[in-house]
Amino acid sequence: MKRVAFLLVAVVTIAGVAVYVVTPSGHAAEEASPIYGVTIPPGYRDWKLIAVSEIATGDKSQLRAEFGNDIAIKAYKEGTLPFPDGAIVVAQHWMKESSPGNDQVLAMAPMVAGLDNPKSFVPGSRVNAQFMVKDSTKYAATGGWGFADFKDGKPGDEALHKACFPCHAPAKDHDYVYTRYVP
Amino acid sequence: MKRIAPVLVAVAVAALLIVYAPPISVQGGESASTILASPILVSPIFGLTIPAGYRDWKLISVGRIGGSTNDLRAKLGNDVAVKAYREGTLPFPDGAIIARLAWHEVTSEENDMALGDVRSFVTGGATNLEFMVKDSKKYAATGGWGFAQFTGGKPDSEALHKTCFPCHEPAKASDYIFTRYAP
Repeated sequence: MKRVAFLLVAVVTIAGVAVYVVTPSGHAAEEASPIYGVTIPPGYRDWKLIAVSEIATGDKSQLRAEFGNDIAIKAYKEGTLPFPDGAIVVAQHWMKESSPGNDQVLAMAPMVAGLDNPKSFVPGSRVNAQFMVKDSTKYAATGGWGFADFKDGKPGDEALHKACFPCHAPAKDHDYVYTRYVP
Repeated sequence: MKRIAPVLVAVAVAALLIVYAPPISVQGGESASTILASPILVSPIFGLTIPAGYRDWKLISVGRIGGSTNDLRAKLGNDVAVKAYREGTLPFPDGAIIARLAWHEVTSEENDMALGDVRSFVTGGATNLEFMVKDSKKYAATGGWGFAQFTGGKPDSEALHKTCFPCHEPAKASDYIFTRYAP
């Protein structure tokens, strides 16, 4: 009996470990955005770059990159509007930080001689990641787009998500997407 | 003889096209516009051409240089470079290529209207395009890296290319690369 008990404990332990390992590796963030039910699309950090940008409020700034899945990139390159179903556009935001190390190098660099005050800024910590997912049937009430805003893998609240579409409505002529493709 | 002449011309044209095609289709997957935009021109000293399809490479990081430079930047890497970044492999293996794109930073009235107090900055025209190509044998004298800077699709001067390596030397501990992978 003692041997059987030991085996049972071992089996249960292994099963527990297996469950633990499988769950996080399946879909890290199964949590969906309120209203739209959008989850973080796997692998988006490797998607192709649409553009880069900067946002400033008071003395704080963000550096941003916008990515697109293959459907979105193809639509951008071919000028297809509205974006076809399946297109996903991502905005990844980082805190903008100065880089004293880079600044030192820039101050000595012969190629920037004569340039006024060349200061280097780089991405610091992640702020949030925003997603727009095109499904003209499912999201017909919001221009065909489902929205999501995630911070540290967690979706923002319903109040925040209610603000998405009204804020994008002025960009109706460009299918509610502000970001243009940067060649 | 008259019949042979056009055939000879056709063969010569075909041969030229074949010579023209291989160096710029190595990476594969690039659009026709990318092929046409890729010049045969090479950088002085290092003999580098613009790598085909670089605009579709994965994002390493974004950046900005302030002052009179006033630009927004994106660093893209080919698969060899991105893999090395993720795995923390130093020095970068042969075949790694890092592309640095830069554009003038401009304000966006359209975005500002939607954002209220938040100021939005996007990209204007491209400034220049830089590449670092790892070949530890060919470029042994410059840390294993070949350098190239293109403005408007044309390589910049030899004098400028002489400044590349001295400027990157302070980053010796990270294999002469300043850019870190953005989280």
